[in-house]
Amino acid sequence: MTIILPLLLLFTAISGTAVVLVRDPSRQVFAIAANGLVLTILFDALQAPDVALSELAVGTAAVPLLFLVALMAVRANASREES
Amino acid sequence: MSPRFRIALLALAGLVLLPAAARVIAALPPFGSTIALYGERINAVTPEARHVANMVSAINFDLRGLDTLGEEFMLLAAITGTVVLLRGRRGEGTTERAMRLPGRAVIPRSEAVVLGCRIAGPLTCLFGLYVVLHATVTPGGGFQGGVILASGTLLIYLGEGYAGWRDSIRSHWLDALEGGGALLFALCGLAPMLTGAAFMQNILPLGTFRDLFSGGLMLVENLGVALAVTGGFTQLFLEFMEETREAEEPDEPGEESA
Repeated sequence: MTIILPLLLLFTAISGTAVVLVRDPSRQVFAIAANGLVLTILFDALQAPDVALSELAVGTAAVPLLFLVALMAVRANASREES
Repeated sequence: MSPRFRIALLALAGLVLLPAAARVIAALPPFGSTIALYGERINAVTPEARHVANMVSAINFDLRGLDTLGEEFMLLAAITGTVVLLRGRRGEGTTERAMRLPGRAVIPRSEAVVLGCRIAGPLTCLFGLYVVLHATVTPGGGFQGGVILASGTLLIYLGEGYAGWRDSIRSHWLDALEGGGALLFALCGLAPMLTGAAFMQNILPLGTFRDLFSGGLMLVENLGVALAVTGGFTQLFLEFMEETREAEEPDEPGEESA
């Protein structure tokens, strides 16, 4: 347990920074999903399974999906206006 | 607002707020220290008073049930707002034609994905139901289970495609689920008042500790939350997915800029 927590916190910091540093929006969505997955494991390790379940469902499934759909709609609209 | 003014504003805000933030951070309890007093009281009192093993559910649905009622209606309002906003521009009609970026190849769905979704989908929904039903015994509850159920329906989309998804999910049912769930929760608050008890007082038999049927009124409230969250999130997915469909007729010019 002593090694797992610092490791998870480190992963959280890395994946959180990655979300900011990745500049392509469609890749950023997957960075957010990865960050959500790391947070899920962290919450679980800190004995908060309720929050972990919510984070897993909302942070790694619902939010990325909504972002992907929004990005797709924006791009399709933009390309239609160009043509 | 010029960049120089913005930076000056940032410096000013930092000057005022950073010392305060530093003081608060310094006064935080150390990482991994003992549970807060409130938590310890809850842990000591709740199993005796409410026969519930999952303290989080006990707080959400009983001790601070009024807060959850507020959150329930926040969710309802947020989803209603999204639906109104998206349908206002798109209208109620639905089409099957997907929007497509020009020049982008359409890759057919592989059989492995279909098989994976057909196996994982029912299992996900089963797990969601389990999480909903065991709200008062194990971690989880109406919200978590509801979101899991809603993401289970997404696997239908992934495995069967848009048409299959729309076939299995009716928008009107989702409306009924969402509104009905919120109504059920509100009725759970009002019904005890008919017997002369207080708003949301737990007057149902509490059941046995660590049993599936423990917690009395909490189980009904939990069901209400589960219905509302399942319906609400699926509705949200549905509305966003509709955005990726090609409109029947091209939009009137000027509407885009509005």
